[in-house]
Amino acid sequence: MDEIIARSNIYALLSRILLQELDETMVKTLIHDEIMLEFLPHWKNWEQRTTVAPKVLLETYLNPDFTNLSLLHLVPYETFYTREDQMIETGGANPVTDIYSAYDFLVDYEVARVVSSDHIGIELEFMYHLCEAQKKALEKNDAQAVAALQRVQYDFLHTHLLQWAPMYLINMKYESRTPLYYDAAEMTLEFILTDYETLHAVVAPAA
Amino acid sequence: MYLESRRTFLKGTAFTVAGIAVAKGVFSTDAAAESLKKSKFTNTPDTLSFYPPLDQWDSFQELDGTDWKRGGIGRHGVQSEENPDGILVHDFMIIPTACSNCEASCGLTAWVDKKTLTVRKYMGNPLHPGSRGRNCAKGYAVQSQMYDPDRIPFPLKRAPGSKRGEGKWIRTTWDEAMTTIGKKMGDTIRIGDELSRKSVMYHVGRPNENGFVPKIWESLGLDSYNSHTNICSANGRTPTIHFVNDDRTSPDWGNAKLIFLNSSHAADAGHYFAQAAAYIADARKKGAKMVVMDPRLSNSAGIADLWLAPWPGTESVIYLYLASRILNDNLVHRDFVKRWFNWDTLMKDSDYLNYMVEKKYVTKLPEGRDFDAYLELLKDMYAPYTLEYAQKETHIPAYKLEKLYEMFIWAEDAISTYVWRAAAAGNRGGWMVGKAVFFVTGLRGAIGNVGGTGFYHAHDISVGGKGGSATVGQGKSGVDVPPVKAWNELTWPPEWPLNTYEMSFLLPHLLSDTAWQKKWNDRGLQVPSKLAVYAPRMYNPVWINPDGFRWIEVLKDESKMELTFNLSPVWSETNWYMDYVLPVGLAGERHDQHSEATLPARWTTFRQPVLRVALEKSGWKPKDPNRATLEAHIKAGLGEVWEENEFWFQLCTDYIDPDGSLNIKKMWESKRHPGKAVTISEWYDAAFGDNLPKLFETVMNDDRYKNEEFPVYAYMRDHGVWLEEDKIYNVQERELKIEEEKIESYEHKYDAGSMSVDGSGIISVVDDKGNSKKIGIQIDGKKIQGFTTPTRKLDVYTQWVAKDWKWPEYAMPIYPRNEQEKVEMVHIVSHVNHTYMTEKNAFALNTVFRLPYNIHTRSANSKHLMEISQNHDPIWISTGDAKRLGFKRGDAIRVKIVDTVSGLESGHFVAMAVPTEGVLPGTLACSHHGGRWKLTNHVTIPNGVSDGKVATGAAPRDLSNKAFLQESPANVGKAGAQTKIDDYSGTTGINSFGVPVAEIQMDGKEGKLKYVEGIKGFKAERFPEYNRDSENVWWDGLSGSWQNAVAAPHPDPVSGMHCWHHKVLLEPAQAGDKIGDIFVNYDNNMKVYQAWRDKLSRGLDANSKLRRPRHIFRPWVKLDPASYDVTIKA
Repeated sequence: MDEIIARSNIYALLSRILLQELDETMVKTLIHDEIMLEFLPHWKNWEQRTTVAPKVLLETYLNPDFTNLSLLHLVPYETFYTREDQMIETGGANPVTDIYSAYDFLVDYEVARVVSSDHIGIELEFMYHLCEAQKKALEKNDAQAVAALQRVQYDFLHTHLLQWAPMYLINMKYESRTPLYYDAAEMTLEFILTDYETLHAVVAPAA
Repeated sequence: MYLESRRTFLKGTAFTVAGIAVAKGVFSTDAAAESLKKSKFTNTPDTLSFYPPLDQWDSFQELDGTDWKRGGIGRHGVQSEENPDGILVHDFMIIPTACSNCEASCGLTAWVDKKTLTVRKYMGNPLHPGSRGRNCAKGYAVQSQMYDPDRIPFPLKRAPGSKRGEGKWIRTTWDEAMTTIGKKMGDTIRIGDELSRKSVMYHVGRPNENGFVPKIWESLGLDSYNSHTNICSANGRTPTIHFVNDDRTSPDWGNAKLIFLNSSHAADAGHYFAQAAAYIADARKKGAKMVVMDPRLSNSAGIADLWLAPWPGTESVIYLYLASRILNDNLVHRDFVKRWFNWDTLMKDSDYLNYMVEKKYVTKLPEGRDFDAYLELLKDMYAPYTLEYAQKETHIPAYKLEKLYEMFIWAEDAISTYVWRAAAAGNRGGWMVGKAVFFVTGLRGAIGNVGGTGFYHAHDISVGGKGGSATVGQGKSGVDVPPVKAWNELTWPPEWPLNTYEMSFLLPHLLSDTAWQKKWNDRGLQVPSKLAVYAPRMYNPVWINPDGFRWIEVLKDESKMELTFNLSPVWSETNWYMDYVLPVGLAGERHDQHSEATLPARWTTFRQPVLRVALEKSGWKPKDPNRATLEAHIKAGLGEVWEENEFWFQLCTDYIDPDGSLNIKKMWESKRHPGKAVTISEWYDAAFGDNLPKLFETVMNDDRYKNEEFPVYAYMRDHGVWLEEDKIYNVQERELKIEEEKIESYEHKYDAGSMSVDGSGIISVVDDKGNSKKIGIQIDGKKIQGFTTPTRKLDVYTQWVAKDWKWPEYAMPIYPRNEQEKVEMVHIVSHVNHTYMTEKNAFALNTVFRLPYNIHTRSANSKHLMEISQNHDPIWISTGDAKRLGFKRGDAIRVKIVDTVSGLESGHFVAMAVPTEGVLPGTLACSHHGGRWKLTNHVTIPNGVSDGKVATGAAPRDLSNKAFLQESPANVGKAGAQTKIDDYSGTTGINSFGVPVAEIQMDGKEGKLKYVEGIKGFKAERFPEYNRDSENVWWDGLSGSWQNAVAAPHPDPVSGMHCWHHKVLLEPAQAGDKIGDIFVNYDNNMKVYQAWRDKLSRGLDANSKLRRPRHIFRPWVKLDPASYDVTIKA
């Protein structure tokens, strides 16, 4: 149970950091949560983290960096990397949308503020929801559902996130200008690779 | 290393804030997601070729078109009460119909939105064997034409006290118009003499139906049916008639190895375009080659394996060169040629063989009279058509001709070809091109076989006029309708006894030419000098015919045309000069049986008024079953728009012959409801059921239909198309069926006891009138149908043309072999041959090609078509010629038309030069389908609103609303019942998306036209939902010049075809000239017609006993055989 809680929390955290600009509440959490700081060593040691007010941190450092990383210089959408023409599929033909639909998930674009459902933040949040579902299955001792959900997570990582997110994250790491996003990139990359190996150990690869 | 990290990541359990508080929560599982889960819809279709199965056509749900623009239901879910912002789901009733924009009759389905009784879109009909669910741009444009903001909303009448052409109109009722028209027609028919039977004229542009309207005129006993064919395809049909006595070719494109197009017509703009192009594409995918012969680099030529650009009118030389090579290389398909060429007729005709020697067609008489001697004779005759001569005369490089020969031989007998417009329609003698085509394809055996070139009548269904068993008087299939006893010289003039279809383009000239009328009246004929009624149907003769100002003169003259009306849904140049404009329906608003020979099969479509059908299928019943379509269109908000079938039924029964004294009423009176006109369902149930046995059998074995009141009609209503017979090849080889003392040939039965076989094997019978009739041929002991020629074989040698009809020199495929012969054989030398190009600025102007996306005058009512095609009709001039004359792209140039027979000038038009490598040097190209005009932007109908006080109904237009289905407007078409027109303010635009405003001047001899105002965007009042972008008009509408008005009539001396091409002289534009200007000397044009008539034709004379050969049937109406007889005074 600890493992699924941990995975769920981490997917939630990473999806939030990579999806949109942070808000003050979230920044405060990141400033003070010791466990989170363990995952983000450069951020933890960054002087401004504790000397600059969260609002200023956001406006002066973090938001400009996020804008640069997700809007201006880099493209955090799967189809940009997987389509030959490097066009983002914003319509109904996006294969990720089909997968969400298959599990009755529908992206609320008013909330997400992205152009397409294959944004890295959305895909990570999808993983978070799958973990939550697995957690519920575990609570109900539904081993069959647990296995099925692990299979879905494994396939989604294999078919989608790992096909492209590493390219984005490596570039994000080197393009970032704040320790928070530098660490977030590295943590996300390491985590999804680790998680894939974890799942691989319990899910037999597809024939 | 990552497994190492795992332990680290387990610390994530200890976050102070759980994931649920951290995650943004971008996924909704609210109503939108729930709505999606409940629906059948998916984000992406399983396959792009999906089409609703037939059993769902009555109710098919589909997401609104904005679905994809908004990112799909994946973003918004499906609209429902709980999810009002989701994607709207339409409940459609899918009604089949057929396109009517060109002649191909591709299948359409109207997607009728049940909530609003509107057509949301037109799609293809996947059941159609020719179009296979696909349509071209014109097919999908039907919706924009249906909801054209300028469509004529109710019957119009020229304002009392005004003259034709003043543009003053009032709203009238269908009843008033039919009363006036019916009385005038009835009074004329009641006179009963020969002249009265020629004094009413119907003039059709695109018939798009098979036999219905001709049956009307047949039942009226009038020789009145006139068609546009002689400005379209007469020269293409003439060789088919001479060679095989059929109307046109029917190529098996899909199985051909060589697609040999004489012009681009079949593949990118013209006849049967969408269906032909798709089958051509299929063949090319299988490895077929395509050759396009056209002096202009058409779209098809651009993608062809070989483009040949011959000098216009010299194409015969290419075919005869191929023939010569085939003969000399011993590559003749001996079996086919020996069996089916009428070689024995020629070899037995010593007189003609001697004539050939005398004319130096051959160097000597053949040594024997057997088949091998025939082949030797052909070798001798065609030896002069060498590669060198072909290159010199056609201007095609030798290497291309050799390449053509290689491809021609490679294709063996799988050669599909088409001769329709282009060479045939453009040139004097163009018909001989077709004869040469058939000759050379026949030499290779590529006639009527798989992959070869078949003929029209074997691949066509014509039953629209055969619903007679539903009437009191017609008898089954119309057998009791008496034949017409008249011969109308205005359409079949004595100068052109072999003309193919009516000489329609000469109508105003013949009506104006009193000397011509007197000449023939003095010689014993009765030539009309006026028409009591002139009724074009969806036709625009003023604009499309040559010498348009002459048309205007005659149309304005109420002593020559006493009453005129056009059955036309849209404004046109011609409508401006009519007494009545009666709005009838477009593709989805009318009934027609329509079949075309687009593949070796017999299919027919059933065109339908789709909103009426949707209403009827939902349970609505019209108040007046004889005006059901009119009621339905009013109910649906289209306006007082009717259809022709119901119009003609009732015009005959209630207005022309209300008391039945003319024996016309009973012809269209319902057998089920005597005293009333026959209804649509009664007529078509009989027309289809009585004449298509396989369809009838299928319906009667179908539980869904066999117990219906009108089962065959209901089947066709639901399917919209029927395939009676597939894979029809080599019909000439079919054995004659003899059963129960009857012998059957080409679906006609005769008394077997009267059969006889002559020495040539020709099988004859005596028909029920006591006349001998050839019905087949005996070959190798078998009695087979053969072809329908006098020899029952392919008339490569047309003996009857030589011996009985004064054209011996053209009885064999031939082309002049030197300059001297060009003078002697002037009748088959193009009037734009390079011989005539004596001035430095002289060119042959190729006018005969269509503009893709446009169909003559029937597309200016579609913004969609205008937007994708506008301003595409400049003068194509080769880069070398342009440089030599100093013309640059965009320059205005004067194009002066000069006649090469009379030497007279017709005037000029001003066009835009576009230098290009895509046209043969010395020739120009400018389609004669440009240059539409109107005299004003808007017409206000003074009583258009005040007369419309009756509401179309109270309930909302919703097919699920019972109150709506129970109500229907009363007394439609009658005085006092004029309905309010939705969103109509009293003023209507005129072709606002495609036709600019012009000023015209004319004085009886000279005419001018100048454009004064382009088109502009506007806010559409009518059908606003369908015209939301009407303000976005970024083109000025000037699509070229009205060159047709400058063109003088050029009647081909044999076929009667108007030969469209011109010799022109190019000059720089002068001060004040603007592109689009025209100047016409139409007094000269009259003299040009007379010169062609008097110098070239070989008409009837004192020795004539027949008007034309009996075996060449007149089209449309059944004529009394005595009508062919003639006596001409010396």
